[in-house]
Parts: sequence; C-alpha cells; structure tokens
Amino acid sequence: MLLDLLNKLVSARYPLRPPGAVKEDAFLQKCIRCRRCEEACPYDSIKMAHGDWGLKMGTPFIYPTAVPCYLCSDWPCINACPTGALEAVGEKENVKMGEAAIDETTCFAYNGIICRACYERCPIYTVAITLKEELYPVVHKEHCVGCGICEQVCPTDPKSIVVFSAHR
Amino acid sequence: MTRFELHFYKHLNRYRRLIQILSVLFIFIVPLLNKAGMHAIIGTFYSVSIGQLDIVDPALVLQNLLLTKEIHFPLLLAGIIPLVITLFFGKVFCSWICPFNLLAEFADKLRKKIRPKTIRAKNQNAKPQYYWLVFGSIISVAAVSGIPVITLTSMPGLISGQVADLIFYGAVGMELSIVLLILLLEVFFWPRFWCKYACPVGAVLALLRGKNTLAIQYDAHICANNCPVNLKKVSLCNAACPLQLNPRQKGIYPYCYNCGACIEACFNKGGKSIWFTFHPQETKTNKSGS
Repeated sequence: MLLDLLNKLVSARYPLRPPGAVKEDAFLQKCIRCRRCEEACPYDSIKMAHGDWGLKMGTPFIYPTAVPCYLCSDWPCINACPTGALEAVGEKENVKMGEAAIDETTCFAYNGIICRACYERCPIYTVAITLKEELYPVVHKEHCVGCGICEQVCPTDPKSIVVFSAHR
Repeated sequence: MTRFELHFYKHLNRYRRLIQILSVLFIFIVPLLNKAGMHAIIGTFYSVSIGQLDIVDPALVLQNLLLTKEIHFPLLLAGIIPLVITLFFGKVFCSWICPFNLLAEFADKLRKKIRPKTIRAKNQNAKPQYYWLVFGSIISVAAVSGIPVITLTSMPGLISGQVADLIFYGAVGMELSIVLLILLLEVFFWPRFWCKYACPVGAVLALLRGKNTLAIQYDAHICANNCPVNLKKVSLCNAACPLQLNPRQKGIYPYCYNCGACIEACFNKGGKSIWFTFHPQETKTNKSGS
C-alpha cells in the first residue's frame, strides 16, 4: 500500500490505538479524526496525534506512561466511533491493543529488589502476567491486551515494562 | 411578500452572524463540557453525536466508502441529517455554520482594506467545470493513494479539532498552520479561493443540489424597472457577494452557498429583485448587467 509506504517515510512509529481498533492501515483509512473517542474517554487516556505524526495527525492514540487504558466495561470510546475504526470487542479479554514486554536488565524484580507493581495491577489478573518462582514477572503475550497499566505503574525510569502496538 | 420575509431579507446578515457565533460557541462549549465530565454531546465538525443521534459530514462518508470499499451501515445513517438539510437548503452549512467561512469573511474585509485595488467585483461567473475538476482531482487522489485527503483538508474539522486541543491541553498543533496559510493566500493572492473552488466538504454538499433546493432567484425585469439606485455604476448584489459571484448572471451554482448577502444588499436599498426560492426559474441574462 502506498499509504503504508508514505507512513513509513513520514513516521515509522506505530502508536498504541484505543481498544477495538482495526489493523493500522485500515484504521488510517476508516478513522475520520473526529475526536469523539477522545472526548468520550472518561480517563482522558486517548490523546490526539499532531502534525509531527505526519499523515497520522488527528488520529487517536494512548500514551500509557502518562495515562493507560482502564478498559471500561461499557466501552465509551468504541460506542462513540461513527466509522467502525473501533470495532465492538465484548469482554475486556478480547481486546488486543498491544503487547507488553519486560526489559529484564532494568526490571527491579530481576535485579534483586522485590517488586510486584505490574503483576498486581494487571487487569487480566494472574493470567496475562504471572510470577515465575513467586518473584519474577512474566508476560504471556497471547493473553496480554496491551492496556498499558503495567507500564504506567512500573517504578523504574526508564520503564522496564513497555507496551508495543499490536499492529507493528 | 409577507412582512416576515421582508424583515428576514433586510436583516439576513445579522441572523447569519448570530448562527455563526453560536457555531463558534458550540466548538468551544462541547470540549469544555467533556472536560467537566459531561459526554452527552461529543464531537467536532467532522462528526457530532448528540445523545444517541449520530451526525457525520457527508464528505467523510463518501471518503470512507471510497477508501475502504465497504459499507458501514451506522456511518451511512449518520450522513442522512446533513444530506437532507443540504437537499432542502443548499450549502448553508458553509455560509451559516462553518467556522472557516467566518474567519475567511473577516480576512476578506482585511484584504479589502489593505489591497483596495482588488475590490472590483467580477461580472461573469466562473464555469462550473472548474469546480468539479478540482473536486474530481481531490477525490481521485484520495481513492488512488488511500490518503484521507478530505479529512486532512476539512477546514471546519481542523479548526474545531484544534479548539478541542486548546481546551484539553492548552496547546494547538501545527495543523492550525494549514488554516493560517490558506487565510494568508486568500488575503494576499487569491481572494476566497478555498470556499469557492477548493473545499471538498463544500463540494460534496454542492453535489446534492436538486430541482427544488433553495436557490437565489433574480428577476431582471423588476431590477431594471423598479430599482431606486443607479445600477449602471454599481450592482449592489454583485458587490455584496462574499464569493465574488454575480447573481444577475447565470451560473452562480455550484459556487453559491446561499448566504443571502446579495438579497440583503438589494432589499436594504429598497429593491426587491432578488430573493430565496425553492422553485428557481432560470436567470435571464441581463445584457446591461454588471
């Protein structure tokens, strides 16, 4: 796709989309940049991409270090979308915004400091993140929804658990 | 002509400004309410939802159909309200609601002050082919490249979106520079080119002109016989038109956006030769008209 190529030229970054987002290239065509998901979000998790994102400007994304997605049970953002760029998901376990990845070189738990921040806050509790040997957090990618709560609560700087878009 | 109509025609611009100001208030109040936690009305001029009612710019509905090649039913339904309004009243969204048009009208006043030589009104109306050529190119670029061109060039959407940003984050993005660039080009090079020729949002609304859509009706007979001012020197309606059209000549559509400035100009000088109608007759070319 030409659009995809242009996007790579302008910005190779893949932002974390709101829950229910269709695949990135289809998303860029379906989304009309109306901001209704942003305005509907009760936690102000959804932000708008600006001109520095090139052709992705005006599209919604989530920057979990600031505010992650709290996976509201009534999905106000998906209900607000008029175009089908965000599709109904049903249960929160069906969401696939992205996947978390742990950097074991900086993670407290892997470096001798007891820390369970990500494990305890994960909304897919004890499924998406489990503790290996009661100490080391492990992400199970097939269950991770990519909400980014783990990234926000991670106490290290830079973050040792980071969510990447599922559409990379 | 009823007293009500007479009053309306004489104060048309005042009513229009009132609605334009309400529309500007709307784009400020909606994000403010959202920020305060009220989500009954959300959206921008791309798309608004009031409770369960969805409204989407028909230009974006068309763009979505072209780009995704699939039909999303709720989106089609959401395009119906603006579609019906436009079928009845023409491009009134542009002249009565669009915030860019309001900005451009003030920029045009500035142009007339700093470049007085450009004030002279044009006698002939541009051919409609130019209008459809520009719109056809924009749509083709969108369809071939897959880039949502209409979204990126929708002035009402960009402006209302940036206002929302200003309220949410206290900052605006560089998208606003596109709006400023167009305004500067209009002031210094091509007066009102965006609304008149280029805007794809307006062009989709112009497509929806039917036989009984509200139109400007000019009667050369009344004009020649009963006009209290000497039209050989200046044609009031022609000079009043913000898009530099001549309502005394044929072919103001698809350019005309039914703002009614020409009607007000005529009625305020005691004339009655131009009015709004749902049953337009063809304008007879006035040879002496200027």
